[in-house]
Amino acid sequence: MTEPDQDPRLDQILDLMIQFASGDMKARLKPSPARDTIDAIITGFNLLAEELDLMYQNLEARVAERTKLLRRAQKDLELLALTDSLTGLANRTLLGDRIGQAIVRSDRDALPPAVLMLDLDEFKYINDSLGHGAGDGVLREIASRLRSTVREIDTVARLGGDEFAIVMPDVTEEGALLVAHRALTALQDPIVLGDNSIQVTASIGLRFGMRGLSADDLLRDADIAMYEAKGEGKGKVQVFEPSMHRASVQRLQMVSELRQAISDGQLSLRYQPIVRLADGRIVGAEALIRWDHPTRGLTLPNNFIALAEESGLISDLGQWVLRTGLADLAQWGATVPDLGEFALHVNITATELRRHGLIDHVQRILDDFGTPPSRLALEVSGSTMITGDVSAMQALVELKELGVSIEIDDFGTGYSSIAYLRELPVNAVKVDKSLVAAIGKDDAQNAFVRAVLQLIESVGLRAIVEGIETANQVGELLRAGAVYGQGYYFSMPVDARQIAGLLAADLPLHGRDQRESTSR
Amino acid sequence: MVYMATGDRDDVRVTIEDDIIRLKWTEGVTITEDDARAAAVLVNQISPDRRRPMMVDMTLTAAVTRAARTVFLEPGAASRIALVGGSPVDRVIANFVLGVSNMPCPTHFFSSAAAALDWLRQAPS
Repeated sequence: MTEPDQDPRLDQILDLMIQFASGDMKARLKPSPARDTIDAIITGFNLLAEELDLMYQNLEARVAERTKLLRRAQKDLELLALTDSLTGLANRTLLGDRIGQAIVRSDRDALPPAVLMLDLDEFKYINDSLGHGAGDGVLREIASRLRSTVREIDTVARLGGDEFAIVMPDVTEEGALLVAHRALTALQDPIVLGDNSIQVTASIGLRFGMRGLSADDLLRDADIAMYEAKGEGKGKVQVFEPSMHRASVQRLQMVSELRQAISDGQLSLRYQPIVRLADGRIVGAEALIRWDHPTRGLTLPNNFIALAEESGLISDLGQWVLRTGLADLAQWGATVPDLGEFALHVNITATELRRHGLIDHVQRILDDFGTPPSRLALEVSGSTMITGDVSAMQALVELKELGVSIEIDDFGTGYSSIAYLRELPVNAVKVDKSLVAAIGKDDAQNAFVRAVLQLIESVGLRAIVEGIETANQVGELLRAGAVYGQGYYFSMPVDARQIAGLLAADLPLHGRDQRESTSR
Repeated sequence: MVYMATGDRDDVRVTIEDDIIRLKWTEGVTITEDDARAAAVLVNQISPDRRRPMMVDMTLTAAVTRAARTVFLEPGAASRIALVGGSPVDRVIANFVLGVSNMPCPTHFFSSAAAALDWLRQAPS
């Protein structure tokens, strides 16, 4: 209510206040020409409103800016949580999501998704020999090549290490196989990093889509198939079949049983003598592991060494063999006055050679038994590619420096090449029995074996011929210049007690006699 | 001697009298950023050789926008500024200019031109 003689501008100021109160900070009141105190108040309100309005606007702009930054940070975090930082590919979490989405879609109008698991063959060698920087470079290049092989709707993921996976939604079996083979082809060209040209192969497991399978089922099956592919050699695609699942379960069970076997004393060693061909005297014995399985009975190493390597049990197994063998050797030394040049031969895998602390470990066990290193010979399988593997090569050099004899096993099979003889720091070569089998029957084979023996001699190495079964073979080998041999002709693998007996008797080993003695 | 600079604007007049820059806004004008910037140009034109004291007559100025006030923050030809206004409205406007801004040179409000000139003349030129 306006009082009769009140200045009308006061009502206008009141209205202005109400407008401000309602949030309209743009409202203004024009001062009168009087420019008196009331006009000054009006002017003050106008200016204050302008200040406040500006502050609000600044505040809002800042809030908008901060919100934008927060959203961006959140997006980055999400990306970080769902992608592999090295390659930018999806990670396991995102892969699982994508498989899940593809499964949901397949319930409506699409085919169920196929899952491909890809693992690089022997990637560890790249890291070990060229360093992790090069390894990372290879992984990034592979990620980029895999991306280029898939369809728009597929997702490529890196699951860690050298393991990749691809989910293919709404795909036929033919379509999935096509992607799998394209992936293999994409890896065929060498990867060039600086001065290095790196050849990479991969093993691929493929799980075709099937209604009712979960993301975990698909990943597990693809993984099982991938291991099957690896077992078949490098650069293979293997499609999952249900029988593989059973094999995989059995494998897992066997790993757990093997672990148990090491601690429960189910393992034992047999020793096959190595003799000087000229006089049949025993100069060494190769330790051979046996597993006395509670239900399957005596199991040969062929049936569990690969599994031990795959599962990482090979280290425990290797340590057990070395310790047990050297304990037996110490026992023989205690009962036989003069062991002469006798040496214990123990097999070692490339995996063990790459293990950190191997040298210290070997040294410690030798010390524990007071055994001179010269009494130990380590046999490295010739079929394992260890040239170019810096850490394995280094281990060989250090073992040799320690005084341990290094021997190439199975020479003449698989990947063994003449280059091995020159490049590897070794003392001796064990010539594979496959080269010996035809000796005495075939002149060409005789000449071939003679040439191999000359080759080994020419690079200054000793040769030990494996798999000798007949007197005829011994004669031919002696004529070919062979000095040492091993085989059923001399002795089957026998137990430690029998080796002690052979050493004590100090008699030449000859075929028939020994075979009878081992059958006792 | 009186120097005058009005440029192409009729709402502001800039002169130098007794070595003091005088800036007078036309009655009832609302000073916008453009107006303030144009005035600053005139001031710098009329006193290009050195900085001089300046008297700004704001009598009868209707308002000064926030943006215009920020122009006063930019250093110019004035060595000190006296804002002169006779009414309470002038006082409010002048003090908003002074209070909200961090002026680049000493600046005061005066209600009479004589007091303003006294203060300006104290300045070392």
